[in-house]
Amino acid sequence: MAQLEIFFIKGSTYIPTVNFDPGTGILEMSGESYHEYTIEFFQPILEWLNKFLEEPNRDVVFNFKMTYFNTSSSRRFLEIFDMLEEYKKSKNGNVKVNWYYKEGDVDMLESGEEYAEDVDIEFEFISYN
Amino acid sequence: MSMRLTDEELFSMHKFYQFVRANSMSLAFQGIISQDILSLVGTTLRKKPNSEIVSKRLFSIVVEMAQNIYHYSASRAYSEKDKKEIGVGVITIGENKDHYIVNSGNIATAHDAISVAERCEYINGLADEELKKFHKKTLREPQRADKPGANVGLIVMSRQSENKLFYDTTVINDQHTFITLSVRVSKKLFM
Repeated sequence: MAQLEIFFIKGSTYIPTVNFDPGTGILEMSGESYHEYTIEFFQPILEWLNKFLEEPNRDVVFNFKMTYFNTSSSRRFLEIFDMLEEYKKSKNGNVKVNWYYKEGDVDMLESGEEYAEDVDIEFEFISYN
Repeated sequence: MSMRLTDEELFSMHKFYQFVRANSMSLAFQGIISQDILSLVGTTLRKKPNSEIVSKRLFSIVVEMAQNIYHYSASRAYSEKDKKEIGVGVITIGENKDHYIVNSGNIATAHDAISVAERCEYINGLADEELKKFHKKTLREPQRADKPGANVGLIVMSRQSENKLFYDTTVINDQHTFITLSVRVSKKLFM
């Protein structure tokens, strides 16, 4: 199998920065996400992730540093968390989500908590100033 | 050649000015409300004298309304950027003494207008915990064919405003209805 390369998208006002490193297993998304064509935007991200999760036993850390996302993106994030949960269950993956939120941003914290309630993976909530 | 405006033009601008002022509208958009316009709205809202959370919620409500219009409005215009026809409508952000008020209006098919109205009624009938459950359940439903959204926009508008959804419909003809949606966020939240 060809070596998977680092997946990187530089963010702008309405698309997030994406930095997935297959070497370290650190997946990071930050910024805002409200692209009009969210499905198309997320497609290559999900495809890369699918390939990355073919190999069992990986240590995967997903650093979620989004500051705003629309509902269409919220659905794509659910798909990502479902994939990570499945990876943990069926491929012995060691998965952790670090959910960052700005201190006082109860909405961003609550969004993370609602995902955490629905998928069987470890979430740590980390506030910053 | 006279450069004077016609009386009609003068009158309508005056009416528009009065209307916007009377409703304390800080922003009003008509046409294709693209993500570039949305990012401008986001910047403007962050300058408002309220808590950051309220600003973010207002922004989120505008985004959901704009994207509903963008994808589902029955009145469409050609976008050079998208190389296809995009839904058009109006969005305003205003306020009264107690609330920030985000309104959207667009022409919908009679069928869509009925389903939006029914969905508002359904959402308005749910208590907070039920609404949260409905949100989670809907997010897990399969992607609807030819619909790019997650089908939770109205749910999120209600949850973020911590209020009911106000709506109104005006039948235009057999096929089309003008639908107005009004979401009100209390100024007292997070004070």
